Amino acid sequence: MSADKVDLLIVGAGASGSLYAAVLAKAGKKVLILEQGPDWKHADMVSNEIWGRRLKGGAPVTLEGKDKMGYGYNSGYGSGGSAAHYFAMFPRMLPSDFNMKSAHGRGLDWPMSYAELAPYYDRVAQDIGISGDAKAEERWRPPGQAYPMPPLPTFRHGDVWLKGFDALGIKTARATVGINSREFKGRPACVYDGWCNAGCPTGALANPQSTYLKEAREAGAVLKNGCTVTRVLTNAKGDRVTGVEYYDEKKQKQVQEASVVLIAAFVSQAPRLLLNSANDKHPNGLSNKNGLVGRYLMAHTGSTIWGMFDEPDVQNYMGTLAPMHWSYDRYAKTSRKNAFGSTLWHCSPAIKPNDIGGIANARNDLFGQPLADFIKKASKQLARLQAFCEELPDADNRVDLDTSRKDEFGLPMARMTHTYDADAMGLWQAGVDEGLEIAKAAGAKDYWAIRGAPTIHMAGGTAMGKSAADSVCDGYGRTHEIGNLFLSGASVFPTEGAVNPTYTIYAVSLRGAEHMVKNWASIAA
Amino acid sequence: MVAMQRRDFVKRVGLGALAFTVGGTEVMLTPSQAYAQGVPYKVLTAEEAKTLNAVCETLLPGAQRAGVTHFVDHQLAVPADQSFLMARVANVQPPFINIYRGGLGAINRSAQAMHGKRFEELDAKTQYTFIDAMRQNKIEGWAGPPGPFIYFLMRHDAVDVVYGTVEGIESLGTPYMAHIAPPTRWEA
Ligand SMILES: Cc1cc2nc3c(=O)[nH]c(=O)nc-3n(C[C@H](O)[C@H](O)[C@H](O)COP(=O)(O)OP(=O)(O)OC[C@H]3O[C@@H](n4cnc5c(N)ncnc54)[C@H](O)[C@@H]3O)c2cc1C
Ligand code: SF4
Repeated sequence: MSADKVDLLIVGAGASGSLYAAVLAKAGKKVLILEQGPDWKHADMVSNEIWGRRLKGGAPVTLEGKDKMGYGYNSGYGSGGSAAHYFAMFPRMLPSDFNMKSAHGRGLDWPMSYAELAPYYDRVAQDIGISGDAKAEERWRPPGQAYPMPPLPTFRHGDVWLKGFDALGIKTARATVGINSREFKGRPACVYDGWCNAGCPTGALANPQSTYLKEAREAGAVLKNGCTVTRVLTNAKGDRVTGVEYYDEKKQKQVQEASVVLIAAFVSQAPRLLLNSANDKHPNGLSNKNGLVGRYLMAHTGSTIWGMFDEPDVQNYMGTLAPMHWSYDRYAKTSRKNAFGSTLWHCSPAIKPNDIGGIANARNDLFGQPLADFIKKASKQLARLQAFCEELPDADNRVDLDTSRKDEFGLPMARMTHTYDADAMGLWQAGVDEGLEIAKAAGAKDYWAIRGAPTIHMAGGTAMGKSAADSVCDGYGRTHEIGNLFLSGASVFPTEGAVNPTYTIYAVSLRGAEHMVKNWASIAA
Repeated sequence: MVAMQRRDFVKRVGLGALAFTVGGTEVMLTPSQAYAQGVPYKVLTAEEAKTLNAVCETLLPGAQRAGVTHFVDHQLAVPADQSFLMARVANVQPPFINIYRGGLGAINRSAQAMHGKRFEELDAKTQYTFIDAMRQNKIEGWAGPPGPFIYFLMRHDAVDVVYGTVEGIESLGTPYMAHIAPPTRWEA
């Protein structure tokens, strides 16, 4: 059964899908979003780390490689996607991130420059509300507009590190975040209780529920939850998509026709959907003649330093999960002697006792009474310092189909294979070494680094690029092989810099969505 | 400090009450009440619960009284996509009972081989030494899911029930400050 044809069918109601839905619905297009998970509302965002786990995960995947992707922690499903419970730390990528291949012969080039993207960064800030100090940030990037709100206030557990940065000659600025430092467009200011990992229910943090998804629904976009898209369908010639096949909330198979299809399904499911949509005209999957669908999966290593400060109360239970201070001083690709790529320093988030980012995990060797004693002391004296380090795209880090495991609809699951190379590990080690020096100079009474490089954030899998030979889609997300099939979100990143991805996801998506509106007649024809 | 006052209404609900069946009727209890009343387990066997209790109490004093076994048992009984266990975040393939059963089995097999007893029958000092070896993957002949991973999962469960609650956070002398307090009933 085919329901009424829509103009734009979006797969996934996460960060990027919500933005496209808002822009296209406001332009008068009939937009339908199909989202596999539940319709999380603000009321579901219970302030508790244990309850917050409901928002995590997504379609099951097989994880392989030496440094397996931290998939469950770094993803989300349901309305808002991973951004229903993200921390809204919003660093931009820098100009040097967009032309790494031409400048250094490493990684891949983006099909756009920083200068082309910069106006969209500025506009996103005005759209959803960003707090920060643009002038201070301009130490490291070309000038742009001021942010609509001043930076968030700081707490002692972030400020304690500044002495250490100073001692090493590392300049810092107040972090830029998608969190309200004062009321913005009727949404309240943050109250610094640190519950962001369970989802911010007040509107203080720019999650899709408070921003683009809300706007999309107000503009008439329809969201159907519990709907898993299993295949994108093409015409007999294979040169146009006609819609999608999906299973609805009653697990009934449906077909939905659409003039244009956008896959905004994040790094594991976007490639999987293209691969599972193989047909006689596209035997390797859609837009996969060059075999690049699924390739160039990336994560950030995090050099994580903990410090115990001999002060009565550093107020580490206050703040947000985004940092207060950061530094791009080690961002140049050649900053480190023995490893290529960027590093971003940042400190410090509010800390709860439990869960992955919690106090107990800061010393995972302790148990029994020593653990109880540590948690007690740390609850007033512990602070965290972290560096995000870049991982270069490597074709062997990839998503492909695990034909040995099928989902409930009989389709092969995604397999994510991921191993860090020597550069990624070198940047991580350099971060650990420098972080320990910062901690010492900051006067921490006790300080240590977490052993082993984690996989933070995820990007890649359906890379954008200038030519059909070396990428899956162009700079507007349009697939090289099918003119009315688009991709967006973290999966289209050809490289990742050393920054959290979502501010860039929004900027790239806004650029793509406006291009789609402007060129609708030729795209949908 | 910012905006603390409006949080005063937050109820002291701990982990919230769970629905337990006692004598044929459903009652709402917190995990620690369920433990104190000896409510039957839904998924764990009584033997498994005894071992899990002893392991978690070794990992963090207070876990037993906080009802760690009833917390885990309840979360094993709900569908995996509704589970609150760290196992879900740590990419364990459901059903999650498999990793618990595998881990507890391996612990008891090693305890028998080393000491001729089940884990819960060992004295506290021996239990501590055992967990310390398990955490470092240093138990010879270990047969089951990796010891360090079992340590990771069960340690998170113990920390969750002792400190991941309104009472737990306030017991540290830090304010809870909920926007939406954990509800009094678990929505399975
Ligand atoms: C704990 C945490 C903290 C984070 N903190 C930050 C931060 O501070 N700053 C930052 O920039 N980023 C942060 N991120 C990352 C950020 O959330 C993601 O990069 C971003 O949400 C990705 O956007 P997206 O639109 O590509 O995918 P998502 O937002 O993940 O949305 C994808 C959606 O597609 C749906 N979907 C997938 N497959 C299908 C299918 N077949 N059918 C139907 N629906 C489907 C999924 O259920 C999901 O809802 C954080 C993430 C996590 C998990
Ligand atoms: S700390 Fe601020 S952004 Fe985070 S949940 Fe609380 S009000 Fe929201």
